[in-house]
Amino acid sequence: MYRYDEIDRSIVTERVEEFREQVGARLSGALSEDQFKPLRLMNGVYLQLHAYMLRVAIPYGTLDARQMRVLAHIARHYDKGYGHFTTRQNIQYNWPALVDIPEILEQLADVEMHAIQTSGNCIRNTTTDPFAGAAQDEVEDPRPWCELIRQWSTFHPEFTFLPRKFKIAVTGSDADRAAIGVHDIGLKLVKNEAGETGFEVHAGGGQGRTPRVAVKLRDFLPKGELLAYLTAIMRVYNLAGQRDNIYKARIKILVETMGAQAFTAEVEAMYRQLRGRDLAVPAEEAARITSFFPEPSPVDRPEGVSDAPGFARWRAINVKPHKVPGRAIVVISLKPRAGSPGDATAEQMDAVAFLAERYADGEIRVTKEQNLVIPHAVAAHLPAIYEGLREAGLSTANAGLASDIVTCPGLDYCSLANARSIPVAQALSAALIDRGLDEDTQDLTIKISGCINACGHHHIANIGLLGVDKKGDEVYQLTLGGVADNGAAIGKILGPGLTPDEAVEAVAACVGVFRRERGDGETFTHTLARIGFEPFKEAVYGQ
Amino acid sequence: MGNDTATAPRLAHVEIDTATTPDAALEAARSAQAIDIRFPAFKDGRGYSLAALIRESGFAGELRATGDILPDQKDYLTRTGFDVIAPDDGSPRWARTSFTHAYQPGLAKGANDRVPAYRARALAIRKAQVEALNQQYGDAAPETIIAVAVEVFEGRIAMLSSFGIEAALGLALLAQVDRSVPVVFLDTQRHFPQTLSYRDELVSHLGLEDVRILTPDPAEARAADNDGKLFERDGEACCDLRKVRPLNAGLEGFDAVITGRKRAHGGGRQALQPFEFDGERVKINPVAGLAPADIAALYREMKLPAHPLSTQGYTSVGCWPCTAPSSGAHARDGRWPGSDRSECGIFDPVRMARADAARKRAVRLIG
Repeated sequence: MYRYDEIDRSIVTERVEEFREQVGARLSGALSEDQFKPLRLMNGVYLQLHAYMLRVAIPYGTLDARQMRVLAHIARHYDKGYGHFTTRQNIQYNWPALVDIPEILEQLADVEMHAIQTSGNCIRNTTTDPFAGAAQDEVEDPRPWCELIRQWSTFHPEFTFLPRKFKIAVTGSDADRAAIGVHDIGLKLVKNEAGETGFEVHAGGGQGRTPRVAVKLRDFLPKGELLAYLTAIMRVYNLAGQRDNIYKARIKILVETMGAQAFTAEVEAMYRQLRGRDLAVPAEEAARITSFFPEPSPVDRPEGVSDAPGFARWRAINVKPHKVPGRAIVVISLKPRAGSPGDATAEQMDAVAFLAERYADGEIRVTKEQNLVIPHAVAAHLPAIYEGLREAGLSTANAGLASDIVTCPGLDYCSLANARSIPVAQALSAALIDRGLDEDTQDLTIKISGCINACGHHHIANIGLLGVDKKGDEVYQLTLGGVADNGAAIGKILGPGLTPDEAVEAVAACVGVFRRERGDGETFTHTLARIGFEPFKEAVYGQ
Repeated sequence: MGNDTATAPRLAHVEIDTATTPDAALEAARSAQAIDIRFPAFKDGRGYSLAALIRESGFAGELRATGDILPDQKDYLTRTGFDVIAPDDGSPRWARTSFTHAYQPGLAKGANDRVPAYRARALAIRKAQVEALNQQYGDAAPETIIAVAVEVFEGRIAMLSSFGIEAALGLALLAQVDRSVPVVFLDTQRHFPQTLSYRDELVSHLGLEDVRILTPDPAEARAADNDGKLFERDGEACCDLRKVRPLNAGLEGFDAVITGRKRAHGGGRQALQPFEFDGERVKINPVAGLAPADIAALYREMKLPAHPLSTQGYTSVGCWPCTAPSSGAHARDGRWPGSDRSECGIFDPVRMARADAARKRAVRLIG
């Protein structure tokens, strides 16, 4: 885990002080809500349907037990006892009082956390593979580079008033568990012919109203030139991105309007001007940051076994292989049957902190699928971890199965939403589990968004639901064929909109078709490509 | 170069807005003494990139931000190069202090901006590393110092060689460690032909694999030394043109440079340590402690070819206009004879920094 030095600490604490003054001015009436809005947004404070919402950054989804305990404390003391982990690997609190927020930020700063740039038209929290540093298939751990980007993008003087929000994702492996194809900038660590590590650079991807898969700008960028290249992309976008229409302001529209070739040429020209000198990443700093992310030590003990009820199934589904002998990656599902996806209570957060500390090295990850991960668990302790999770109500064995449904907060919380997503997810999870449709659906993805902004990532789900408002009724569009990782693809609409109940039945029917039709080792994408949309249409809409 | 002496007279004052194209903004930078950038709305962040482009082009005049500006934006504006912030609504309702540190390079005028965190940290690490290396290897043999330096600074180290009287020793020791380490040679176009032939002989004799020859910028040379007599008029300017500026550009990407300087050269070199930090780069002086007799012995032992001029009374060789044979106490007594100069300036951080600033301006204006 990265640890702050004096520089990091002073930047975060000075920001807390500044925001405390801004909140004071708002509470005293010296600032109007209009004047306060841009200031609070830059600090992760939204005004939602019922209250202010605070979004706390979890840098590249990595935190430790100590930080998790503070997140639990905040949930307990300033909220209603729970928090919501998001598809961008952050956590949201839905009920804090504005007057408390400076104090919350101060407590976060004490454990090297903040809410800086978790909203607003600036560079947001960089996301990455939740298995980074543990996955067997990675070229290199992407987290040191995420940390470098975190610092470089924090209060960037030139790029804090962009046309629109801006998201960067980094992956260290071909499997790409960071969905780099649907980010404003996607970076993939690769090796060139000389055996050096660098970045393959993509830009112009995104979801929302106009989903686009990113185009590749470059096959290989030397690592030390990352900041120069990012600056070049940002500058081209900041100057030329559309600003008069919020729906056309993301970089994906600019890339599409200019054309991939012209956009790339402009970025490369700017990069040639900027490379070297002040923007060169010094080798010493790269080494310093990298030293915070050592490979965990191997453990010379056999994996633990248990005949506790449910252990074998949980072991098979929620535990993934680790690159170091004697360790395992444990996925903690936040998707219990009929639960609210991504929510965790303060007690559950404390339990995860305890288990991570006791049976691993203390590190925890948040996934874009809204689950938690203990990345470096000692495999000998898997039975004890399972027991601890079971007691905390966190032992649902469905990581990566159909019932591991991703949803945005939807109309229950969000002022942008057109339809509810959580109740649909709850009914669907119950239907899948109760009918046995969940079995053998590893890697089948179902995602639900309550509006076209697509925070629930429905575009890149194998089976996606999008809530729309049709003359006051909540109606859901069903899409098929989206892919998040490793060759992103945007799903296509299957047919007419559905009521909430119909939507649940329709998704269940699609899962049924897939289970019936798929061949050996086929993913949903393979099956869909082979059999086409017709069997699904028939199952959903009849003849 | 010479962008400040453009032929057209400069307009006193130009106003552009955030919709101005980058090309038009750079044109304003060439033609105006002061530029206002007008922000139609505080959310319109194009003005920050325009200011950065204008400053990076070398524009040294006044840059003002006007229009709809939140007082809380002051720090961002200052750091992208604005000197004056003049919002339309007059006095700030909210005066925000700036941060003590910054993560990014800034463009505040006068180069007084905060150093980006990554550079500040790296330079601190570099400095501490030099102290530790001197502690451990202060008295080590030249070949040990070279081997340690090549390992510690792998991929970002080069040897600077004059291919002069004593140069073969350092080059031979480097070749024993790693022939692929880049060797940088300043071709001032004022060298003795003997130096150039000796260079080629040594390169092939030692099997050096990556020799980089740096020459003066042709356009600069035409402008500053059209008659080829600059050395007569202004020796220091000649060294700047033919050595300081080309080396500044040629060393980009190298954090460490091996030199052939020795304490026995006298002057400012009498206190040389094997490892030095100049505030930016590490300089490694592996042969600093060798006396002329040691060097001569090593030449014999290693069977190194001698520079052709060494038999004609030269103890140190630079450019022909400024080098004479010497029988003085110190080897470099024959350099800049009859002048109080003893160094060309490539080891002077102040002159190198000046060259860097000039180069940044030149690079931007070409684009």
